[in-house]
Amino acid sequence: MRLPYSLLLIGRERGRYLPAILAVAFCAQLNILQWGVLLGTLSVLSMPIDRSQADVWVASRDVLSLELGHPIPNDWEARVASQPEVERTETYLFSFGYWHKPTGGSEVCEVVGTQLGEQALGALADLTPEMRMRLTEPGAVVVDASELDRLGVHGIGDAAEVYGHRVFVVGLLHGFKSVGGPYVFCSLRTARMILPLFQGKPHDTMYLLARCKNPAAAHELIERLRQYPELSAFTRDEFSRRTRVYWLTQTNAGIGMGCTAGLALLVGLVVTSQTLYAATAASLREYAVLRALGISRWRMGAMVLAQSFWVGLFGIAVAMPVIFSLGAAANFAGARVLLPAWLFAGGNALTMAMALISGLAALRSLRLVEPITLLR
Amino acid sequence: MSSSTPTLVAHHLFRSFGAGETKTTVLHDVSLDLYGSQVSLLMGPSGSGKSTLLAVLSGLLRPDSGEVIALGQQLWQMSENEQRKFRLRHCGFIFQGFNLFPSLTAREQLEMVLRWSEGVSQRETERRVEESLMRLGLGQRADLTADQLSGGEKQRVAIARALLKEPTFCFADEPTSSLDWSHGEQVVQLLRAAARERGATIFIVAHDSRIVPYADRVYYLEDGHLSQKPEPRA
Repeated sequence: MRLPYSLLLIGRERGRYLPAILAVAFCAQLNILQWGVLLGTLSVLSMPIDRSQADVWVASRDVLSLELGHPIPNDWEARVASQPEVERTETYLFSFGYWHKPTGGSEVCEVVGTQLGEQALGALADLTPEMRMRLTEPGAVVVDASELDRLGVHGIGDAAEVYGHRVFVVGLLHGFKSVGGPYVFCSLRTARMILPLFQGKPHDTMYLLARCKNPAAAHELIERLRQYPELSAFTRDEFSRRTRVYWLTQTNAGIGMGCTAGLALLVGLVVTSQTLYAATAASLREYAVLRALGISRWRMGAMVLAQSFWVGLFGIAVAMPVIFSLGAAANFAGARVLLPAWLFAGGNALTMAMALISGLAALRSLRLVEPITLLR
Repeated sequence: MSSSTPTLVAHHLFRSFGAGETKTTVLHDVSLDLYGSQVSLLMGPSGSGKSTLLAVLSGLLRPDSGEVIALGQQLWQMSENEQRKFRLRHCGFIFQGFNLFPSLTAREQLEMVLRWSEGVSQRETERRVEESLMRLGLGQRADLTADQLSGGEKQRVAIARALLKEPTFCFADEPTSSLDWSHGEQVVQLLRAAARERGATIFIVAHDSRIVPYADRVYYLEDGHLSQKPEPRA
């Protein structure tokens, strides 16, 4: 089998094409890893939702994300529970709190108060039966192991204060390292005890969770609940996505990532385009002979484009193991990097498009191919 | 092609460069006929317009006025694409320097021309390339890249590339200038063989008077005026 000339030239003139291949690899790495980090970060933000057992989340009107709810009356629970699709309901508390470290200083935390039974809708699926049992004790909390330093405690049994109320750690989770304040998981009773927002307000809750007899009926339930203008209702996936999209679009995190990703594409575009341009310009006399012999200009253009395709492909091939290694290293270090297949597909498609656009930009060098320049 | 019928006829060619006071007329009412199976040699001092005349005759540079009739067709009345197709079908070129892709082998340089030409099958490409390499004594060097070939071998590859399509015309601009005479003589003999064996019309532009004995017709260009020397073998 004969290799195409585009591939032969890249293989035999590796030094010339290497900068473009590395630029493409850099571009692919930066884009995919950045979005992987962002996805990981966003997934943590919606993790209390994703790891719940509820099919439907009911909140105050126009709530934008998990952290931005307003207290709603418990009375609404009857309204939700009376819907034909609903199997059972429960209340769910969520609010920011001030964690006062035993070593001094304080930290903003995110307190999540839920029922704790085996069938509880709001409790994290990750809570073990032992944790659930120990959390029933007033003041008992579970935190992520990687947040201990931030919280100024060393492990299970250590105590601190939230708004002057004593809390103590009874269990440690993994993989719940928050972007904002550390998550503090506890019982409804503990949450009502430590959160000023709910102190003395036993008839308020932050969210109402519902489980449907048939999870597929969640959308019908939501449509009916949305007839009440004072509340908003979402499926678990909707609310999770809503929370992530809010953070992605309404905070500098998403904008910053987008800018850096765009910058990576631009760097890749310029370096690849200039490398291909220089490679073609270095062979202008050879191309000019071919032009004199009657070879179409499109043949040469096709070769430049094919080279941009190979440069893109090799760049992606170089980037893949680096992305996996860096992703694994980041996860090992406690950061959460998500690298789903669609991210690779999208990131690589974008990188390849960038390489091909570079090839198109480099085609301008072929305008310089004129046989008359060979005659002195 | 009979040597009594010209394959290319040029009438009253004018070509100048610049404008106003800087205008320089390089070709001044130049007319000539080129014949198949013959080597025509164009000589003249540097800057006399030899390369310009080659470019005008071969369809690479439009004259200010005059006509070039190649194989009965008005070359300068064709569209750019028609000219390209004419060159693809009928013209081979050898330029100063070798102009070979440094990292492609001799075989690949030749294959590229046929693979990128229209309507040549893979089998036909391989056959013609192999035949051409053998004829030019490059059989053993076919798989070396241009960087690995000597100057003489590179020029033979350039000639093979020009003659690969068995063109009616072969235009050579100073084909021996970068070679010592032993290699230069080989080059001229190869071109002469193409004329004799295939009936090709060979047009060589050169300074080197040692080529004169190999030419059937010798033209001399000076200050834009063309004159024909007596036929060297007459």
